[in-house]
Amino acid sequence: MHRITNTILALRGLSSGVWVIATLFVISLILVLVRQPEQEGDLQFWVFSPEHAEMYAPLIEEHDASHGVKLDMTVMSIAAIQSRMMSGFFGGLPTADLIEVEKAVAPQAFMGPVDAIGFHDLTDLLLEEGLLTQLNEPSLSPWSVDGRVFGLPHDVHPVMLAYRADITEAAGIDLTLAETWEEYFRMLRPLMEDKDNDARPDHTPLSFWYTNQDLIETLMLQGDGQLFTPSGQPVIANERNAFLLATIVSWCVGPDRVAIDINEWSASGHQEKVDGLAIGYIAPDWMCSIWKMHVPGLEGKLKLMPLPAFEPGGRRTSVRGGTMLGIPKTTQQFDRAWDYAKLLYTSPEVARQLYREVDIISPVRSLWDDPVYNEPDPYFMNQRKGRMYIELAPEIPLRPSSPYNKQAAIDVRDAALNLAEYANRNSVYNAEDLIPEAIRLLDRVQARVEQRMSRNAFAAEDLAAGDGEAQ
Amino acid sequence: MSAGQRKINKWILHAILVLLAIVTLVPYVWLIIASLKGQDDFFSAIFLPPGDGAFGIGWDKLSLDNYRALFDLGFEVNLINSVFYSATTALFATLICAATGFVLAKHQFRGRNLITLVVLGALIVPPTLLLAPGYELLYDLNLLDTSWGLLLPLIAPAFGVFLFRQAVIQSVPDELLEAARIDGCSEWSVFFIVVLPLVRPMIGAFMLITFLGMWNNFISPQIVLQTADKQPLSVAIAQLRGVYKTDYGLLTAATVVSVLPVAALFLFLQKQFISGLTSGAVKG
Repeated sequence: MHRITNTILALRGLSSGVWVIATLFVISLILVLVRQPEQEGDLQFWVFSPEHAEMYAPLIEEHDASHGVKLDMTVMSIAAIQSRMMSGFFGGLPTADLIEVEKAVAPQAFMGPVDAIGFHDLTDLLLEEGLLTQLNEPSLSPWSVDGRVFGLPHDVHPVMLAYRADITEAAGIDLTLAETWEEYFRMLRPLMEDKDNDARPDHTPLSFWYTNQDLIETLMLQGDGQLFTPSGQPVIANERNAFLLATIVSWCVGPDRVAIDINEWSASGHQEKVDGLAIGYIAPDWMCSIWKMHVPGLEGKLKLMPLPAFEPGGRRTSVRGGTMLGIPKTTQQFDRAWDYAKLLYTSPEVARQLYREVDIISPVRSLWDDPVYNEPDPYFMNQRKGRMYIELAPEIPLRPSSPYNKQAAIDVRDAALNLAEYANRNSVYNAEDLIPEAIRLLDRVQARVEQRMSRNAFAAEDLAAGDGEAQ
Repeated sequence: MSAGQRKINKWILHAILVLLAIVTLVPYVWLIIASLKGQDDFFSAIFLPPGDGAFGIGWDKLSLDNYRALFDLGFEVNLINSVFYSATTALFATLICAATGFVLAKHQFRGRNLITLVVLGALIVPPTLLLAPGYELLYDLNLLDTSWGLLLPLIAPAFGVFLFRQAVIQSVPDELLEAARIDGCSEWSVFFIVVLPLVRPMIGAFMLITFLGMWNNFISPQIVLQTADKQPLSVAIAQLRGVYKTDYGLLTAATVVSVLPVAALFLFLQKQFISGLTSGAVKG
């Protein structure tokens, strides 16, 4: 007793702040202890989007009630899903029974031999249940390895061009007649005058810059550029890629450049959109809801059209972003998880809500007849944009599921940056004249990617097999 | 220098300091105003929304709706969690680090230098590197999604052990420890009655650093805790950000709620914080 009193007397001299923290500890401990712990469900489901969770909740509740099961849905950041999922897959630890994974993260799970992938192979099940033919085929490519499907696609994300129709129509320009990028830029040339004498054009045809990795990838995919073969071999240094890289970089350099750097996410970027600094914007379906939320002032001023092609008759759309739903092999209740997966990813209610809430079209083709996609959208001058995106959905390019794709795309962005520097330094602004330098830069990217892959025993085997095939 | 000249210099210095204070405070003022605005006014006005009120400001457009909505979402649970995790980590980490620092500084035993080296070595391991093995270890110990799983790895940081070891070497004379032992103090009493009061400045500083570190910790709770009811403010705020859309009013209100307690705590502890950081900086 005497010792305790002495200790308390000695500690009395500690600062008031220490006692505040001690008091906070005691109070919060009591509050935490009296809280009733929630009962854990039978299955776990990780999602990264609060919007998705909100849409799924009523369906899950209904399903839980009618089947006597409880599915716990946890919203967590993409980074947390990535860390937990990969720790689980590498360490053989249980993860969740269902995981919704974003495009940038999913390929990491595809590293290594096919039979070691942490997700269940859904191919046979999709075939048996007739779902494979119901899904938009190109939307399966980012979630497939060697022809096997490891995730249900959540979306299609086709890309169109959103343009300031109020400005073009006032100038008497009908942009829908532009079939190629060349025609598009030529038609908008008259709007590039500098009437307000601020040393830059009042309007620039396209919002794009060689530093924007996502947009570079989107445009290269549109032009049939390819970084990896379907079996995962890097084919970055090819003539088509060089042509595309040189073309898009040429839009951003020289005195007659036709592209402008407008930030897609910042307030200043939104203001520049309102000011009409750029006429056209590369717009996947999900971007529409972001515009409506962040740039409400553009309602009734924008229209959508298919992307102009790189050549006459070329592809008029591309793809950007994506999400899949996978069932980890560690689940003890595969059948129940599969039931939930089908419910959430093929239900007309969720598809309808997905479009109404966030403008995303479903990859399930049988749902494309839903009248929701025919609704005119006042933000886009009453265009039936759902139908327009759906018409382009089967045309979206195939994407690789290689775990090295993300880093390769970053390296290609760096190559674009170096190419632009080269163009400005040597006053070479013509796409054709930039191609030799583009090939040289892409050769370097290819070497870097091959070096990275050679450090992975499994990828190195594939790489060697690829070389053998090439010889 | 004349008295007048000194006065002018003082004025200039104060003017510069006031200017710097304004620059520092502007983001906080913006944050508080933004938390009171609705979604419509968020992008249309940088600070106060325009309107028909005094000074041409729409005072009626400012409200506490975002805060109400925040607590309707059950944000108080995350607030309590943050306080609990931060206070627990601060208290126990300080106690454990001080005790370990004392032992390493003042006790002679076999392997002392090796342990000190291990502590120093642990300082150079990037925390990110430990995420995956840490996750596996917590799983093996059945501590995933538990408060223990979050707190245990954080209550004996190598940085704190080394900091207290240095503080004890500098502030606690061997003679005082010997005197206490001769007077019949046990090692526990020596630690609590003699050592802790002597490293008081370091206790204030370290407690604040640890409290703030845990308060702002995002990645560990994200990885370890799964149940929404167990998550701290840092994670709950991040989840207010949608993938497609974000209610910025709600987000800024949540940020204000997360900033205020630590700002208040800093005001309480700032004296110790500063004295703790500078102790030993001047040779006395």
